[in-house]
Amino acid sequence: MNGRTSRSRIGRREFLARMGLIAGGAAVAPGVLAACGGGGGGGDDDGRAVSISNWTAYIDPALNRKFTRMTGIKVTYTEDINDNNEYFAKIRPNLSKNRSIGRDGFVLTDWMASRLINEVRWVQPLVEARIPNKTNLRAALRSPGFDRERTYSLPWQSGVTGIAYNIEVTGREIRTVEDFLEVEGTKTVLTEMRDTIGLIMASLDIEPEKPTFAKAEPAFDFLERAVRDGKIDGFNGNEYVSDLGAGNLAAAFAWSGDVAQITRDNPAVRFAIPESGGMLWSDNFMIPKTSERPALASEWINFFYDPVNAARLTAEVQFISPVEGVPEELTKLGGEKAELVDNPLVVPTEEFLAQNHIFGPLVGKEEERFDRRFSEILGTG
Amino acid sequence: MLERDPEGRKQARVAPWLLLAPGMLWLFLFYFFPLWTLLRMSLSSRPSRFADPVFSWEWSNYSDAFSRYGAQFSRSFLYAALATVAALLIAYPLAYVIAFRGGAWKNVLLGLCVVPFFTNYLIRTLAWRTILGDQAPVVETLRSLGVLAPDGRLLRTPLAVVGGLTYNFLPFMILPIYVALEKIDPRLVDAARDLYSNTWRAFRKVVFPLSLPGVFAGSLLVFIPAAGDFVNSYYLGSAKTTMIGNVVQDQFLVQLDYPVAAALSFVFMAIVMAVVITYARLLGTEDLV
Repeated sequence: MNGRTSRSRIGRREFLARMGLIAGGAAVAPGVLAACGGGGGGGDDDGRAVSISNWTAYIDPALNRKFTRMTGIKVTYTEDINDNNEYFAKIRPNLSKNRSIGRDGFVLTDWMASRLINEVRWVQPLVEARIPNKTNLRAALRSPGFDRERTYSLPWQSGVTGIAYNIEVTGREIRTVEDFLEVEGTKTVLTEMRDTIGLIMASLDIEPEKPTFAKAEPAFDFLERAVRDGKIDGFNGNEYVSDLGAGNLAAAFAWSGDVAQITRDNPAVRFAIPESGGMLWSDNFMIPKTSERPALASEWINFFYDPVNAARLTAEVQFISPVEGVPEELTKLGGEKAELVDNPLVVPTEEFLAQNHIFGPLVGKEEERFDRRFSEILGTG
Repeated sequence: MLERDPEGRKQARVAPWLLLAPGMLWLFLFYFFPLWTLLRMSLSSRPSRFADPVFSWEWSNYSDAFSRYGAQFSRSFLYAALATVAALLIAYPLAYVIAFRGGAWKNVLLGLCVVPFFTNYLIRTLAWRTILGDQAPVVETLRSLGVLAPDGRLLRTPLAVVGGLTYNFLPFMILPIYVALEKIDPRLVDAARDLYSNTWRAFRKVVFPLSLPGVFAGSLLVFIPAAGDFVNSYYLGSAKTTMIGNVVQDQFLVQLDYPVAAALSFVFMAIVMAVVITYARLLGTEDLV
């Protein structure tokens, strides 16, 4: 999930409460947090159980039960990820000291996956032998910059960041970032830096695929001016969902899956990929380096790479599946689920995907400069 | 071990210490120890972004905290002061009516003040997003009355943030003032009237001074958490209304700069303490309690 909370339809409230605890705890008592790490002990295959962390409302719970029936592996599934940064702060005290976090797998967005794989190295390789379904991974997602061979990660779901708008408020279609700024009414962008800056970079003909701070500076300046001039009224996570539907927001930078769900109930809400392109992202399953059950965790992700199970997952969460063969399986499911095949936000065409960019990796000081500049514009830096 | 008090009664010398021990232990574990850790963190430096901070007497964290975030500090204390005054103006008449005119309904009325606060703090704040939304009846009414411009709005303004702070901390003002008013002997007001005081003068010379301990306690209970709050600014404000709590949150979770976040927290505590001491001196709390 590309957003701070984009998966969390109900998790936003909890997110801030937890954030306060984590922020304080991470600073004042890392030892206390470390002691909370819990289980994860026992050799691989011992006890035949895995513990997984994921975003809120990002699975069909029946699929975990099916997995247990088929493999005998018990799943402890916890929806405790509401934000990439928050989760990083939560696992940091233990993983930085090579201690268990009580999890055998978690799902984090591309850029955070890059940090975990290439910078802090807190994840271990997936057990390939237990993932025969890996061959079903869509070609477009097989070789991302942060994990060329998909040694450490496999996508869980993907999505696109674009512009959502309520046509009853805007009174016109939005096709570009410039259109977005010009329409009447309240407009917001995302607190997720890569999405907001990525969309603006693309609109300024700057490649988000190869970001450097120097190249991105015009995008930051553009955003700063828009905020100062009142053309952008605020920053949010997925709170835009209810505001767009109610007409309290005219337009917002938004995540495709969220909008796919609103548009069913409210046809006035529309989603546009700007002519300059949207931002394509994936959330990735990884195994923490301290897990002692990498083989069982690999079996778990393998289960979701079976197109039958992947289609059921897509029908539930309505994001883009990374698994080949999902449209065919959705058609077999019939009814409303089969209709999803015609929704480009859920089953995108190659043409639709080709319009989009993937924000390139940022590391070390460069990432710090991006984050600081963005925080300055948010008013917190 | 026993010893005798001045009247010759036997007293256990250890009993007071035993009674104090749980509280002291609690304070040590959950206040002094974290405070000490926070202080060390605030004087640490980071070898790299993801490395654990190292204690190095890094005083520049404090100068950074002052120089870079002055606007957010001032905004926090300004919003908190406005929210405190607004809460006082709303709470005092309310508490007065309940205490002196509530009769048999006192408990029900007090309950009504508190019941909304059984709902989660974040849910209440998010509800205000709906109430203050651009298409909400409140905004439309104000627009039709000419109070707001046709394209005027309430959400994402300083007014919304101060309003949210006031609403969320209102019970902390009502309850102490009510308790202080409730303790006032009504015969004192009767006595003032017997001495030819009118109602307003009796209030000014008798009731209000006697209720000052409640006003003092309520003001602190509203001001301190309001100044450190980040939820109202995040949900009801904009990039132009960020408070110091938002900066600390960002430093901890996004920038991963724990030393600067700790320094900001310390500076914030120091300012709050100075404000409280000044306020106590002005109000002369030794005469109030």
